[in-house]
Amino acid sequence: MVPHGVRLSLGGADPVEPARVAHLADCAVLTGAPLVSEHIAFVRAGGTEAGHLLPVPRTWDAIEAIVDNVRRTQAELPVPLALEPIAALFDWPDAELTEAEFLIEILDRTDAQLLLDVANVYANARNRGTDPVALLDQLPLERVAYVHVAGGSERDDGLYHDTHRHAVPVEVLELVRELCMRRRPPALLLERDGAYPPAPELAAELDAIADAAGVERITA
Amino acid sequence: MSREQLARRQAALIAALHGTGPVPDGFDERLVRAAADALARKRAGAVAMHWPQLRHEFGPKWTDEFRRWAVGRVGHGALRDGWDFARTYVDRLGEGARLELAEREVVWRYDGVRPPRRRWAPALRRVGRTVLVQIGGRVLRLGRARV
Repeated sequence: MVPHGVRLSLGGADPVEPARVAHLADCAVLTGAPLVSEHIAFVRAGGTEAGHLLPVPRTWDAIEAIVDNVRRTQAELPVPLALEPIAALFDWPDAELTEAEFLIEILDRTDAQLLLDVANVYANARNRGTDPVALLDQLPLERVAYVHVAGGSERDDGLYHDTHRHAVPVEVLELVRELCMRRRPPALLLERDGAYPPAPELAAELDAIADAAGVERITA
Repeated sequence: MSREQLARRQAALIAALHGTGPVPDGFDERLVRAAADALARKRAGAVAMHWPQLRHEFGPKWTDEFRRWAVGRVGHGALRDGWDFARTYVDRLGEGARLELAEREVVWRYDGVRPPRRRWAPALRRVGRTVLVQIGGRVLRLGRARV
């Protein structure tokens, strides 16, 4: 069990709230978790909750803020922290680094692990017309703690939304295969937040992920 | 961009996503609007989980009705968003949703501005032929509820 995503707002301009960090640390102890994970995102600013994981600008100043928050968090945690890059429909203007450079800089300076969400990689690439596999080739795959896999769908706005409420598309499974051909992560996890399908459908989805990853099925 | 600038720009982005401010300079307006819409949908889903009767009442129109209401309002979490929404439309609500609302009204004191606080005193609400009484934090339903 891995406590995940407690709205730390690591990408926020403000320092992380100590109570939230303490809560995450308590969760890690209570569940005997080997690690915890949080998003590289901000979720509040100026006292207002966004209600959503929002992207941070890929700038050196933003890196400073994130690294500071990650270090503050790590100092209170009894276990390692893995960071997850999010899916975002838009980017901040005036990026100073590429996505990969930005992530590597944060990971290097904090010694955090990477929680790689292949569905996020897919969604970002598809909505920007870039190559998701190219990003895999640029990321430090040896630092991947585990992998998220999720479904989504294209809405009338022509954008692919990482909903966690739809089936995992074949393109995401293909990305699982591409990733595992390069380096197989310690574990993969299917994210589903609602509109749950019947058990056989869910089992088939887990099998498809295991098959794509080249690991043993867990549903038998 | 200094830390203060970053804070200001993040706040401005949240305002744009909540429909309470313009899309900040340099951002792709179409994409930010799409994200704002996705956020409103997500809020509708979260409110539906906290307020199942309310959601049930609107049937397939729920997401659109809630989105229409939510745009331009700062979110305060699913509990309060649903509460504010239910109060706005209380006259349109059927008995199930009104009971759901009344049950919360007798347990919590909520002024629509600050977070709800638990009532220490007994409270009473009437919904149709049902009377809800809260004493010592317990809610009693008197009369017949036709849900």
